[in-house]
Amino acid sequence: MDEKDLIRKAKKGDTLALSKLLQQNYSFLVKYLMKVTLHPQVAEDLTQETMMKCIEKIQLYNGESKFSSWLITIATNLFIDQKRRKKLENNWLEQEQVLRKMKWNAANMNEDWADVLDILAQIDEGIRMPIVLKHYYGYSYGEIGKMMGLAEGTVKSRVSNGLKNVRKELADLEGL
Amino acid sequence: MKDYDSKNSNSMLDDEEELTVKQLTDGLEKLDQWNPVSTPNLQWFQQNVELEKKRIRKKQWKDLLTFISVAVLVLSVVIAVVYRQPILFLYFQLVGIILLPVALNKTRKKVSNE
Repeated sequence: MDEKDLIRKAKKGDTLALSKLLQQNYSFLVKYLMKVTLHPQVAEDLTQETMMKCIEKIQLYNGESKFSSWLITIATNLFIDQKRRKKLENNWLEQEQVLRKMKWNAANMNEDWADVLDILAQIDEGIRMPIVLKHYYGYSYGEIGKMMGLAEGTVKSRVSNGLKNVRKELADLEGL
Repeated sequence: MKDYDSKNSNSMLDDEEELTVKQLTDGLEKLDQWNPVSTPNLQWFQQNVELEKKRIRKKQWKDLLTFISVAVLVLSVVIAVVYRQPILFLYFQLVGIILLPVALNKTRKKVSNE
């Protein structure tokens, strides 16, 4: 059964079809959230929340974009909302600890740590998200704008300036 | 010459940008390798979907009951006022009509669509 059939059945209330759809997109969603949050626990929690929201709003999915893109849109907005709620909390220390743990895991696997991840973690998520969506997932500026509720020009400048920043930070690190 | 220089610097910039993008995607791919995702079985998803649907149905019923209760209360108050003190009802209507343009002109906050 292909995705379109599953979506059609899920919209009619078929639990099995909806479950299959969610199962098929689960790994993609966790991986996306992992890249934008850089925090495994937050990524897991947001995946659960996204799935709950998807179950509630499946009737509203109009098929204009791919199902996975629709999920990314929900996840992105949930992450933005969460960040807005927790803005006052100073959680940089927690993020630092998470990164240290990831570095330790990488070292245990005899892998070299990617400095670019440290830089990405320092960037504001409002800039990190469009960079990941544009340069890793290949979405257009317009699509990202729709996902994040921003103007296309805003997305473009955020990606461009963000990337310049990453390049500068990388150059500084390499220069050390 | 200037043109050539600017083209040259542009292509250098593009190369640098490409290199940054490459480093970025490599780093993110490594992140996937270090954090492998294990997808739960279909039964787990079915249970969650069922539970969530049940919770949504319960919430919808609760919302409907709250709505009906509030509606009945408001209607009762209005009917009581009309019968007991019709002049007060007219005052309320007048205030409503005056405030209507203000309420309609109020700019609505844009919400992101999911």
